[in-house]
Amino acid sequence: MPAETHVERGPLGPDDVLAIIRERLAEILDIDETLVMRESRFSEDLEADSLALIELVEALEEELGERTVGFSVEDEDLVDLATVGDAVDYVMARLQVASAGS
Amino acid sequence: MTACTVAVDAMGGDRAPGEIVTGALRGVEELGIQVLLVGREEEVTPLLPSPLPSGVSVLDARDVIAMDDEPASAVRKKKDSSMVRSAQAVRDGRADAMVTAGNTGAAMAAALLRMGRIKGVARPAIAVPLPVPGHGYQLLVDAGATTDVSPEWLVQFAIMGREYARVRLGVDQPTLGLLSIGEEPGKGDELRKLAYPLLQAVPGFVGNVEGRDFMRAETVDVVVTDGFTGNVALKSLEGALRSLASLVFGVFESSPEAKAAGDVVMPMLLDAAEAYDPELTGGGVLLGVAGVCVISHGSSSANAILKALAVANDAVRADVPERVREAIANAR
Repeated sequence: MPAETHVERGPLGPDDVLAIIRERLAEILDIDETLVMRESRFSEDLEADSLALIELVEALEEELGERTVGFSVEDEDLVDLATVGDAVDYVMARLQVASAGS
Repeated sequence: MTACTVAVDAMGGDRAPGEIVTGALRGVEELGIQVLLVGREEEVTPLLPSPLPSGVSVLDARDVIAMDDEPASAVRKKKDSSMVRSAQAVRDGRADAMVTAGNTGAAMAAALLRMGRIKGVARPAIAVPLPVPGHGYQLLVDAGATTDVSPEWLVQFAIMGREYARVRLGVDQPTLGLLSIGEEPGKGDELRKLAYPLLQAVPGFVGNVEGRDFMRAETVDVVVTDGFTGNVALKSLEGALRSLASLVFGVFESSPEAKAAGDVVMPMLLDAAEAYDPELTGGGVLLGVAGVCVISHGSSSANAILKALAVANDAVRADVPERVREAIANAR
């Protein structure tokens, strides 16, 4: 296995998750990735509505679910995620739960 | 050319699965298409002839999205529903298009989340044909997919609607109007006032139109508005036409003389009224998603499903998603 691929498939850190969220959110909202920062607020700064967040969740489940079996997001938890940083922390916690369960 | 395959949400709509399956079977016979019936196998299969006709297949899906389910969360939670599986069949290449008579909001969410969004499109919009007596149809965009919009999104609805009008209405250079409360540019709420100057850059834009300009040949080919207003307008038209029909039928029953006159003109009136039947327009097409999704009336009969299948088949043949993608890309 090439070294790069191995690194890519290793455990994900907060920076990796931020990069994934940044890329996917920029794609969904059709904005530049540089506008998506840790402190960006979904609603006020990025104008992401509830449907956009659901799209993000589906994209994350698809991408991260391939790496970590059992990774999922609870819809009920979405209301507590105000910023991109909140989402990164939440995803990290869910990844840990999924890893512990497998 | 290979026959188009349409995934049919067999469990969606007030008259599912019976009328849906019957309409799908007619589609195979009369349109030469193939159908993938998606739904609970034990409810769908007994409705099919044996042996199974060529061009008909069944995809088992255990769940059903109800008309009153909250759209986005229903699509998230009911991943094994007939509607989500239909959209997935398009994404996976098992089908070229999907047709559903189920929950409109959920159909939009399912198509958006499973087929994906065309690059550059902020939000999808539903294009619904409104009959224009003696003239064909006029398109209403958006009829209810996206209720809260920005001025820029209205411009996208106009671009997508114009492109689809070429296919659906067969008009080479369709005209567009922004639905407002007056024809003058300054009329309307903040959204309309901001959208107007942006829309002037869209070819075919002629200015504001009013509610009275619906279903009239001398106005515009495409009426552009937000999904909230569009849905209110659509339902208002349906209600008004139904009320008008009751009024006319009531008059013909008001006296023996009127009844005698009714016996003469009623067959002609019924024929003419058929043009106004929302069941027979073929349903709305969701524009902006990377696949063909036709949303038929919730109370669709077999006949309505047949019409919706024809619309889906035409949209696949014309490659509407690709045309929309190009139109949006060229406008950026």
